[in-house]
Amino acid sequence: MENRIREHVEELFREAPQTRKTLELKEEMVQNLVEKYHDLVAEGKNEKAAYEIVIAGIGDVGELIDDLKMSYVSDPFEERKAKQRSALFTSIAVMMYILSVVPLIIMDELNMSEVAGIAIMFVMIALATGLLIYNNMTKVHYRRTDDTVVEEFKEWKADRGNNRSAKDAISGIVWSLTIAAYFLISFATGAWHITWVIFIIGMAVKNIVKIVMDLSKS
Amino acid sequence: MSITSDLIRGHTDTIILAHLMQTDSYGYEMGKAIQQRTDNLYEMKEATLYTAFRRLENAGYISSYWGDENTGARRRYYAITARGREEYFRLRAEWESAKTMIDKLIYLEDNSNGK
Repeated sequence: MENRIREHVEELFREAPQTRKTLELKEEMVQNLVEKYHDLVAEGKNEKAAYEIVIAGIGDVGELIDDLKMSYVSDPFEERKAKQRSALFTSIAVMMYILSVVPLIIMDELNMSEVAGIAIMFVMIALATGLLIYNNMTKVHYRRTDDTVVEEFKEWKADRGNNRSAKDAISGIVWSLTIAAYFLISFATGAWHITWVIFIIGMAVKNIVKIVMDLSKS
Repeated sequence: MSITSDLIRGHTDTIILAHLMQTDSYGYEMGKAIQQRTDNLYEMKEATLYTAFRRLENAGYISSYWGDENTGARRRYYAITARGREEYFRLRAEWESAKTMIDKLIYLEDNSNGK
């Protein structure tokens, strides 16, 4: 009889989304109904009559199922707005990267100081990189709409992606700074034969940052 | 009987909160208590009860936890929160004033006879 009660409850909630909430509600109902059934049998009702009383006492579960469906929906509008904002930031950053060489070319044409052109170029690169980092940091974190396994997987994936994009951004800064240092020091000192070492130092710095990030994560 | 049921159903939240003011409880125990207090005249449907649990829990008036029964299935217990207590007293005051008003509106003869 207990199995028949369980089957009946399963049948009632067939249309409800398969989430942990639904599962818990079904578990809760079956437990209570079975306890009621045993009480009725202990009072002297025969099994069939007890089962029928239990089933008749459930009532209309329509509203319960509606509630379960409601909590399953996320907000697609907010998600789209966040995506648009993110796309805008990325576009501006890429544009700044491309345009960063323009001042250098103009300065060169006008026979002005090359160092000033390079300085402006790196300011633009730094700003663009900063924008990308800000964009990644504030990106809407994937929120679980419900406790299904699929949602958990999506969240895990989003988490991993977030971490990686942060690393990419930091790697970008380190390289920009390395190139900036290379040109500035080389132009200032004229020691082109040795300044290539800066690239190796840059690589080392990048790897150190990566290790620190990995360690702080775990 | 069905009109009485409708009237009572409008106060499901108050009834559940009142029960939980006494002690933590689970679905069947509450249903049984309600039936016994009304001398078997009113039986709350399971669906009504669980819908109310969800509503009250979402509102933060009650919280739930799974018991650790040694034998058989685990029960889901409900406990009243501090906000739930406030809500209970508010609902009770509301009912008191409604009761007084309805009495005045429908016992017209008694009122005129008394004066």
